[in-house]
Amino acid sequence: MAHIKVVRRSMRPEDYIRLRYGWLKRYRYRDMTPLSPVMIRNARQTGENSFEFYEDEPYELKPGDLYYTPDGSIFFTVEADLAGVDRSRPLYLFYQTTGEVIVKVNGHWAGGVDPNRELVDLTPYLTDGTLHIEMLGFNRSKPDDERNPDTMAKRGCRQVFDGLFLCRVDENVRALCYDLELLTDMLGAEIFDEDLRAFLIRETDAALNCIDFDDVRDADVSAARRYVEEHIYGSTTYKGSGRVAMVAHSHLDIAYYWRRIHTVQKNLRTVLLQMRLMDKYPEFTYCHTQPYLYETLRDHYPEVFAELTEKVRAGRFEPVGAMYVEPDCNIPNAESLIRQCLYGQTFYEEAFGFTVDSCWLPDVFGNSAILPQILKKSGVDYFVSNKMSTWNDTNRFPHNSFRWRGLDGTEVYASVPPTHFISWNEPSGVAENWAAYQDKNTGVETLQMFGYGDGGSGATEEMIELMRRFDRLPGMPKTRHVTAKTYLHENFTPDKPLSVWDGELYLEMHRGTFTTKAKLKDYNRRLEEKFRAAELVSLFGESKGDYPAGTLRRLYKKFLLQQFHDILPGSHITPVFEDAVRDLEEIEAGLDAILRGDGAPTDLTGFTRDGCEFLPDETGPATRRGVRGRFVRIHAEPFGAAKEIPAEADDWLREENGNWIVSGQDGSPVLTVRFAPDGAIDSLQSGGCEYAAEGFNRLRLFDDRPGFYDAWDILPDYEEKALDLTLTRPLALTLQTPDFAEFTAAQATNSSRITRVLRLFRSENRIETEVRADWQEDHKLLKVGFPTPLRATSLVTDTSAGFLRRPLHKNTSWEQARFEVCSHKYFVIDAERRGIAVYNDGKYGVGATENGVSLSLLRATERPDPTADRGAHCFCYAIEPLTGPFLASDVPEKALRYNSPLLPVGPLRVPAFLTRLAGTGVLSLSAAKLSEDGRRLILRLTELKGETRTLPLDRTVTVCDLLERPVSVTDKLEIRPFEIITLATDR
Amino acid sequence: MQAYFEKTLLPLLRGDGGEAEFIGFDGQTLSLRFRGECSKCGVLPRCAAWCEAKILRDTGKTVRIAFTRQKPYFWDT
Repeated sequence: MAHIKVVRRSMRPEDYIRLRYGWLKRYRYRDMTPLSPVMIRNARQTGENSFEFYEDEPYELKPGDLYYTPDGSIFFTVEADLAGVDRSRPLYLFYQTTGEVIVKVNGHWAGGVDPNRELVDLTPYLTDGTLHIEMLGFNRSKPDDERNPDTMAKRGCRQVFDGLFLCRVDENVRALCYDLELLTDMLGAEIFDEDLRAFLIRETDAALNCIDFDDVRDADVSAARRYVEEHIYGSTTYKGSGRVAMVAHSHLDIAYYWRRIHTVQKNLRTVLLQMRLMDKYPEFTYCHTQPYLYETLRDHYPEVFAELTEKVRAGRFEPVGAMYVEPDCNIPNAESLIRQCLYGQTFYEEAFGFTVDSCWLPDVFGNSAILPQILKKSGVDYFVSNKMSTWNDTNRFPHNSFRWRGLDGTEVYASVPPTHFISWNEPSGVAENWAAYQDKNTGVETLQMFGYGDGGSGATEEMIELMRRFDRLPGMPKTRHVTAKTYLHENFTPDKPLSVWDGELYLEMHRGTFTTKAKLKDYNRRLEEKFRAAELVSLFGESKGDYPAGTLRRLYKKFLLQQFHDILPGSHITPVFEDAVRDLEEIEAGLDAILRGDGAPTDLTGFTRDGCEFLPDETGPATRRGVRGRFVRIHAEPFGAAKEIPAEADDWLREENGNWIVSGQDGSPVLTVRFAPDGAIDSLQSGGCEYAAEGFNRLRLFDDRPGFYDAWDILPDYEEKALDLTLTRPLALTLQTPDFAEFTAAQATNSSRITRVLRLFRSENRIETEVRADWQEDHKLLKVGFPTPLRATSLVTDTSAGFLRRPLHKNTSWEQARFEVCSHKYFVIDAERRGIAVYNDGKYGVGATENGVSLSLLRATERPDPTADRGAHCFCYAIEPLTGPFLASDVPEKALRYNSPLLPVGPLRVPAFLTRLAGTGVLSLSAAKLSEDGRRLILRLTELKGETRTLPLDRTVTVCDLLERPVSVTDKLEIRPFEIITLATDR
Repeated sequence: MQAYFEKTLLPLLRGDGGEAEFIGFDGQTLSLRFRGECSKCGVLPRCAAWCEAKILRDTGKTVRIAFTRQKPYFWDT
């Protein structure tokens, strides 16, 4: 006999409760009075607070009319005479919209409406009988911070206007609605015990039975509320467990599905909404990140910023997050992350008189192991992020409250809450947080962030009203609403038995963001180096005038914006990319103006240079990355001018049986290479050892369809569908000079053309490959592979302030999940006594799978930007077989030189002290700048090789933190592995 | 028309995460393929009508927009 499933087809009690809750909501607002005429002007935003209007004059918008335009904003004005209106009772503006609307009432910033909010309290602003409303609305079709099903269904560029209304709020009904919001959530949430849910269904049903929905009367609503109070809130039968700290915030992407210019008003609306909640709810506090956002508010809306400042002083509005914006924390180098802290903390100090001790990065796609040291030395003791706990695709991140130990051993406290950073205070969400919390035994509360986010807006009245009821709800963890500082300071104390997570906070998702939007990565690398060069030249350039502190700070801050975690990673719409490129071009032009010179080509790394380098020369025989020039062997002392070393013989390269043999200075072979027709390397020998296996340096094309998170992700099985490239021009020698030789090969698909120029250099065992691509693919990933016969056991990846050594085996799920990792200027396939170093000039994604190691070159994603990465690309990478152990090599120095070309700025008047310091070979000069107060020389030195050293100095120096505050005075440096040291000296 | 579309209308659509490709113009009908966020927009006909009105306002030409949608592969069910 077949199994017959028993299905209840009639309405269940919980369904009837929800149905009646919906009916009750209709009685929340009374005395709805249309406002008219509503006059509007359509506009398109052109700047942070500038607009281009479509009409010369306002026109009347009537209910039923279509309004809003693609990428459009609207300026509304409404006048009303309230002479006959009772102003002794609260009066509200009611407006339902898909837009994000800022509201001014009688000249006062009253708040806002958006898909999650439909009321503005007019009462405080009605000083006489007139009502003048001004509104600025920005419509969006792709918000992801709303849960209102009505407005979600209406998304789109053209909307139907439903009218603006004055109304009264029935506070009695609204209060019962808040009760029912809690209860309807709980009675359907399996996180709560079945017997508790049965109790809630029974008692909520009984409460609603107090009301006759054919004739809803105030007394019956009061009776229902009393019933809830007495029978549900008053129940002591069902005890909850756990402790949850509730912190209000709003995640605000400064660019994502909207341009950065729109964020200025998104931030204004967010700030206004939260301050109005503070006006109404005396216990309410809210934390807000990103000094950049505060800056835009100060610059464009100073009166709102003044009010915000008062609320900061009162402890209600809480600045958090030391970094200038919430940057990507994989790709920016150490100095960029330091500047995020320096300029962020400096703003807070100047604006509010204090720095903050938290780093607040809820949404960032993984965090480099260099971060703890940078944070600690920037006055930050607490790191907060939700990403690893809620987004990992392979392993459950094992901690929520822990100590995070960085590459150099520095520790900060870390809070990685177990649930999402966007939440709206449903009881089930709070209970799920506690249930998922993995560090219950530490005595540390779990953290629940609440508030809408991504596009800003933050907490709502409903969230606060629900929170006020939590402690009376049966079965709930104990909650308390606190500031971020209170949560962090009271919980993360030395007496707590916290576990340690050592190393990077790798996100097991969004691995494609190391590669997507290659142009931004390329700019990032180049400009990071140009900033370093520009500051150095501004300090020590012979012909330079005053140090351009203002210009450099302005350019740097604009650059830091481009490192935001939805800009640099490539997860944004087309106009955001266009804005970023425009900004980066402007920044580069500013830096080039500082670096312009006609002096000798000069080293700016602080390392001795010996080898073939590219020098721009309009009459040169070669073109590298679009610049005409020549490669020539040079020698340069640290910060010194390069001297060309003429070739003594031109027989440095010869061909024997298909092998190309590069001779060293003594005539013996340093490299023997056999190329395949497509530019792959069939054999690579150096020091008597073979380094290349089949497919070495071969381009590999893969189908790349990771799904909804298209720009973000690469799937673990991407290698399963490899695609062919057609050879269109077999490799051939195309140029040979006394210093270098070029071989050229070309490949194609139906859509794309890829030319590769491979270069060999006199007396060197390095092979450079320049890739010139007309890239017109869809859903493809282009990599270059480096399979090797060496018994390589680890992959050394560059963090920019030291290296990480990663196992190459895939024994555990943690290693399997790291099939695509971030590396900066170099990586090394390490076989203990030998290895293969790969240098690059703007790539960050490195594949490490059972099939070997690869460098990710290009992607072609569709969402959020269907145009992403299509077009021309040109970049270089270089391969060097290491004939000795990596730790004995000068790979880190070479990687710096590879990314820091000789510039015609010489000679530099670098102090002898600095030259001597750099010449020790122990430390790398990662920055030299004028201090923010303009009085001292700041030197940033980084230990790159993991060594412990004592370095006597010939003078006394002041050791500073990264905020340039003195820490100690010394005449010798005790250097720890991977330490970042900041020294201050007189100019 | 293609230049007008790419210079004037396309940036507006892209401003909201949308995308559209110019397919052709026969003097009366502008054929477009909507992609990105536009491809699943529930009010796209309204937007197309607004574009027609804008073309008339900007160029003085009465143009009808005929469009198709190309959803991203992960929405193309």
